[in-house]
Amino acid sequence: MDWNYLLQALVLALTSAAILLIATLGLGVVFGLMGVVNLAHGEFIMFGAYTALTATQHGVPFWLACVLAAAFTGVFGAAVERLLIARLYGRLLDTMLVTWGIGLVMYQCAVLLFGTVTPGIGMPLGSVRIGGGVVSSYLLVLVVIAAGLSVALYLLLTRTGYGVLARAVVQDRTTAAALGIDARRLSCITFAIGSASAGLAGAVLLPVIPAAPNMGFALAIKGFLAVVAAGPAIVSGTVLSVLSLGSGSAMVASYGSRVLGDLLFFGATLLLLCRFPLGVTQGWRLKL
Amino acid sequence: MSSSPSSTPVASAPGRAPAAILRLPRWLPAPAATCALLLAVPWIEPYLANTIASWLIAGLLGLSLALVWGQMGFLSLGQTALYGLGGYAGSVLAINLAPGLGNPLLLAAPFGALVGALAAAGIGWVVFYGRLGQLQGTILTYTCTLILWTASVSLNAGIGRARVGGDNGMSDIPGFVAGLGLDAPPMTPNQTLACVLVVCALVYLGCRWLMASSFGRVVQGIRHSAEKTELLGYDTRRFQLVLFAVSGAIAGLAGTLYAAWGAYISPSIFSAQEALLVPIYVLAGGIGSLAGAFLGAVLVGALSFWLGGGAAGGQATLILGLCLIALVLFAPRGLAGMAGSIARGLARQRMPSAVNASALQHASVNAEGLARIASAGPPRGRVAFDATALIKRFGGIVPVNAVSRSFAEGRAAALIGPNGAGKSSFLRCCSGQYRLDGGTITIDGRDVTRWPLFRRVQAGAGIKTQAPLVYAELSVHENLWIAAHRVARDARQAAVAADEALAAMGLQAVARLPAGSLPHGGRQWLDIAMVLIQRPRIVFLDEPAAGMSGEERRALARLLATLGSTLAVVVVEHDMEFVKQLGGHVSVLHQGQLFAEGSIDALRADERVLDIYLGRNAHVQAH
Repeated sequence: MDWNYLLQALVLALTSAAILLIATLGLGVVFGLMGVVNLAHGEFIMFGAYTALTATQHGVPFWLACVLAAAFTGVFGAAVERLLIARLYGRLLDTMLVTWGIGLVMYQCAVLLFGTVTPGIGMPLGSVRIGGGVVSSYLLVLVVIAAGLSVALYLLLTRTGYGVLARAVVQDRTTAAALGIDARRLSCITFAIGSASAGLAGAVLLPVIPAAPNMGFALAIKGFLAVVAAGPAIVSGTVLSVLSLGSGSAMVASYGSRVLGDLLFFGATLLLLCRFPLGVTQGWRLKL
Repeated sequence: MSSSPSSTPVASAPGRAPAAILRLPRWLPAPAATCALLLAVPWIEPYLANTIASWLIAGLLGLSLALVWGQMGFLSLGQTALYGLGGYAGSVLAINLAPGLGNPLLLAAPFGALVGALAAAGIGWVVFYGRLGQLQGTILTYTCTLILWTASVSLNAGIGRARVGGDNGMSDIPGFVAGLGLDAPPMTPNQTLACVLVVCALVYLGCRWLMASSFGRVVQGIRHSAEKTELLGYDTRRFQLVLFAVSGAIAGLAGTLYAAWGAYISPSIFSAQEALLVPIYVLAGGIGSLAGAFLGAVLVGALSFWLGGGAAGGQATLILGLCLIALVLFAPRGLAGMAGSIARGLARQRMPSAVNASALQHASVNAEGLARIASAGPPRGRVAFDATALIKRFGGIVPVNAVSRSFAEGRAAALIGPNGAGKSSFLRCCSGQYRLDGGTITIDGRDVTRWPLFRRVQAGAGIKTQAPLVYAELSVHENLWIAAHRVARDARQAAVAADEALAAMGLQAVARLPAGSLPHGGRQWLDIAMVLIQRPRIVFLDEPAAGMSGEERRALARLLATLGSTLAVVVVEHDMEFVKQLGGHVSVLHQGQLFAEGSIDALRADERVLDIYLGRNAHVQAH
């Protein structure tokens, strides 16, 4: 057994799970709080990535560009919600199809605007040696970002007035409306938050995953499966399923092959759905 | 299919009225269209003919989804997985048979269909027997597609003479051949188109026939309410599994035809983009319409063909995305749905939208007639239903706490008690709508505690839920027909039984109206008739008199009192006057336990019973 290789594989697994988690959290929030499966989530990530890329090309510092990307994508998401998704509440499959249409349109627009190949940006920060191998420090920063984003969303949903109201709406829309809660406004905010975190994901992942029209696709498919397998506990469920499925498949990928890792990911999702027909966290008492 | 009552007068019912024969048969348009297209085939340019054939094959794939999504309400994103599996399996067989056999496609196509059907049955078993949620079921099928996509890219294997080339795909697949001999020439594009057209027409007609059959009508019931269909004693999972397997066979067949058409198949067939294209075909053509799948596929194909040819700058993806959004938002019923409403508008058919009030005077309900329907058929002997120490918990609340009670024929049994006493919960435990946390239930000495709902209904239980549960969009007659068919097992007999029930309820005038247009009391009677038409041996009724007029209540009490002498009748009711008219044995429940029993007059005089109804404490604590 090569311990150095194991250590490196573990670090890689952790970072690739963190990357997936950053990309998925927004999807989880939108699904958990709105019951909407956003098939355009990958394209929202791409939107954020191109926003950040364009900003840095105009001399904006990288970290500021990330904030800009989140803000732009959030506003864009709010507009999409108002114009399209708000018309389709309670029609789960119809929203899936419409968001897929949005994704197609965004993809093609990106191809038209930026072409299929665009320059990446260099890896900020240096690198560190772990177990005989060299790991970019930025990857470790991503782990911190993933953890920070999870905690921030958890606090947002539990400690703020918005979070409590949004959870009330998803539990019982009619009762919430009878109490005078404006569910439409809350849904718009929720979708904007989900989109903003997709935009942020696209930006912070830019040094790892170069901007390309189809960059979000693979991330979104896996994130989407992880979210559905996780079930109704929004933050903890998503973190749990993404970390286990993501790092598991990354471990298999580094010892076997990438295809084997993907197969493990999909196969494990399949088994989880068979065992927990309504998601792993369905039976949990605290659904957060 | 959701056609208006006026356009399907008696058409789906076997007891066809003479007037319906004068109209054009509803199956006619498809063969007519096929013949017209066949006549046109020789004049189509070969290149275009070749392309149209591929659209039709895509339409066949769309049809496989229209069958499960439009007819049964299950959106499968795994149709391309079945399509690809069928295509690969059929092609491997065709390549291996090619040296010795002139026209290997004749064997490969059924084999592809078989593989598709088996794969669908496997997926369907997990989804339907595992009782997955709607979204989870859809995601599971999507996951299957993604697994095949990932796996097929790296699968390099030789199977006999066939070479499954991973990412490079499999080539040299034998195509359409005109003739049976080894030297038979390959078909021209126009011949291929004619051949594909005939296959599509046959499969389409087969699907039409299936959905018009008894099986298909029960499937419609499942789409409108799977819950109600199970309450009527149908094993809904089996119906869903069978229909999904049929859909898999069609997808597999389409896959084999596709591989033969292009002489090539590759993992891109499993891609996520392809998987999501199929719902577009169905949506564009019109969900709920089987022919719409072909319409949609041809439309999308033609659009991509035209756009891909340079129109609109080759922005096929952009236009398709916009079309998808517009379709879902503005034309959720698709082109077929739009054409249907335009046609109806042109024909100015009178839609009998409002229920004629005079047709619903339930004073005409014939309690004796309904009682005769319930007790028709051979005598069914004694019935013994025993519930022992039933327990049901919801978190910390225990609505049913170790209640034991037996029911038999003789006198109707009424369960009463103040709000929250656990009456309805106890009834649902007995009927099987609730899964027990403790206790056993036997019917005639057989332990049925672990039996699923539909098996108990098959064993003779009839369940009338608190809110009347009817198929709101199906006609009153169809509602009764689905209920009757489970016991009659014959379409014609079921129709006769439904007619009798309609006559007994005095509802003949509204037989063809959607059940949802009935007022509350009418829906109650319909629901009760659906239970009784199955000739149950024990009936559970949860507040059956709610929403009925005084006259109707008296008729219902008479009916249940009459039934009580031949079968076990258990009624939960709030209305004491109704319970008095019922004249049966009364059990009072309080805080999840049996509190008192006896006749209604004795209980009305019982101070302790008055205490719990009035919320006084004096005697209750002593109990």
